[in-house]
Amino acid sequence: MPALLELQQSMRAQLLGYATPRDAARAQRLAIYRDTRSGTLVNALRLSFPAVQRLVGAEFFEGAARAFIRAWPPRSACLNDYGADFAGFLRTFAPAAGIAYLGDVAQLEWAVNRALHAEDSVGLDLARLAVLDQPTLSCLSFRAHPAISLLCVQFPADAIWRAVLQQDAAAMASIDLGCGPVHLLIERDAAGVQVHRLNAARWQFSARLCAGTPLYELFDHGAKCPDADTAAWLAEHLSLGRLIDFNLTAPPAGALR
Amino acid sequence: MPGASHNAIDARPIPVAAGIGLRFPHHDQVLRQQPPVAWFEVHAENYLGGGSVRRVLERVRRDYPLSLHGVGLSLGSAEGLDRAHLGRIAELVRRIEPGLTSEHLSWSVVDGEYLADLLPLPMTEEALDVVCRNVEQTQDALQRRILVENPATYLQFQYCSIPEWEFIAALAQRTGCGILCDVNNIHVSACNHGWDPQRYLDALPPAAVGEIHLAGHALRTLDDGSVVCIDNHGARVAAEVWALYEAALRRFGSKPTLIEWDTDIPAFELLLDEAATATALLRRAAGARHACAA
Repeated sequence: MPALLELQQSMRAQLLGYATPRDAARAQRLAIYRDTRSGTLVNALRLSFPAVQRLVGAEFFEGAARAFIRAWPPRSACLNDYGADFAGFLRTFAPAAGIAYLGDVAQLEWAVNRALHAEDSVGLDLARLAVLDQPTLSCLSFRAHPAISLLCVQFPADAIWRAVLQQDAAAMASIDLGCGPVHLLIERDAAGVQVHRLNAARWQFSARLCAGTPLYELFDHGAKCPDADTAAWLAEHLSLGRLIDFNLTAPPAGALR
Repeated sequence: MPGASHNAIDARPIPVAAGIGLRFPHHDQVLRQQPPVAWFEVHAENYLGGGSVRRVLERVRRDYPLSLHGVGLSLGSAEGLDRAHLGRIAELVRRIEPGLTSEHLSWSVVDGEYLADLLPLPMTEEALDVVCRNVEQTQDALQRRILVENPATYLQFQYCSIPEWEFIAALAQRTGCGILCDVNNIHVSACNHGWDPQRYLDALPPAAVGEIHLAGHALRTLDDGSVVCIDNHGARVAAEVWALYEAALRRFGSKPTLIEWDTDIPAFELLLDEAATATALLRRAAGARHACAA
């Protein structure tokens, strides 16, 4: 009699097809569990990547999803969190190579999925900042709302995503795939998930801010960019509740003016 | 208590009546129409995040008694529980204050990989020790008693030393957990393994049974010609299962009873109709008991 852990490891190997059950009757019964597992995981990916599925068709999607599940099985029982690596997987999935923008659309859908399911969080109480003096303020670094993603992709994934989900063939036909990279901010507000397109300078500031770059660095950088409006951009993020907490980061000697 | 939520609503007990498993396709209708349902149960794993889905759960919780049914804790994992997952379930329980909290006698995690199904356990002393340890850890983390549901299984292991019904009774006795008696699962496993379903019911201690589940199943013929009964939650409750439900009510007394439907989810009205059948049988059982007591 194998120990329970050994038995569970061996059953996993049989379920995933890495080992063969001892007879055909057992194999068929095991297949019932295998079918439930694949069905559940493929369905979880369908729910998170509806535009990718529309772009490639249900049958192709199922094949890609099964290949992904083999390469990247879930590590958590919360399947809303499953699929973080799907966009990267699709970019290297040879049968999908004909649709160059598929990975970008998948990356956007993952950000949308994160925005849908991220924990609730309230924006930073600005009164906490009002009591700080100027040198302290410049040492602040912020934590962004968990629903926010900042995405820079090669193709206009936002336009493709909207056109595909709205089944708007005219909009799809008018998309210029060669328009150059797009800079996106994805978030959740009271009305639902929002996908905004930003200009490159504003996106770079927002991405660095949300990644926890301290203010003295952001303002130094802004001073060197003629089209930067650092103070206004920061005020907008704060007023919309996109920042939920802060830390104090000591600057290197001489960095403070 | 530190961290106690000041806006928590008082825990609302689950009534001894027929409830319905609430699934996403019925969210809007339930919020809009407030149908006359005695209570709802949801799968905990679908509500672990925030946003609009959590708002729906909070509104349902405000308007109805609510039970949380976990599908991913993997109480049978030899390697122990995923602490991060248990922590998220505990947080949800603290926020929602469900009337009942339940999980399954099965496993779905090994070597940190989630296998996305409720897999069967060998009924051995070692497995019983493992499940007892995991149930105790869960009850400590959630600070409440949980109910553990008997599984529907399609295969058995050669070296099982304990009948499943005795395993469950021992689990309840050792950990103080309650039993979620899934009558359809008893029927499914009894068909697949040649068990006597009445013997199964007779082995479960009535006082430990906190809830009953009812659902539909399907038959599938395998290549070798054998027929397997599959717990697909995709049909009306079968006649044999209604009969077994009446036997369960005679044995356990009236218990909160849930209608579950997860595959090819039908119009909500069909679930109301199934719940009405359960309600009628609950009333008849209560009447029979009163008649006996008189």
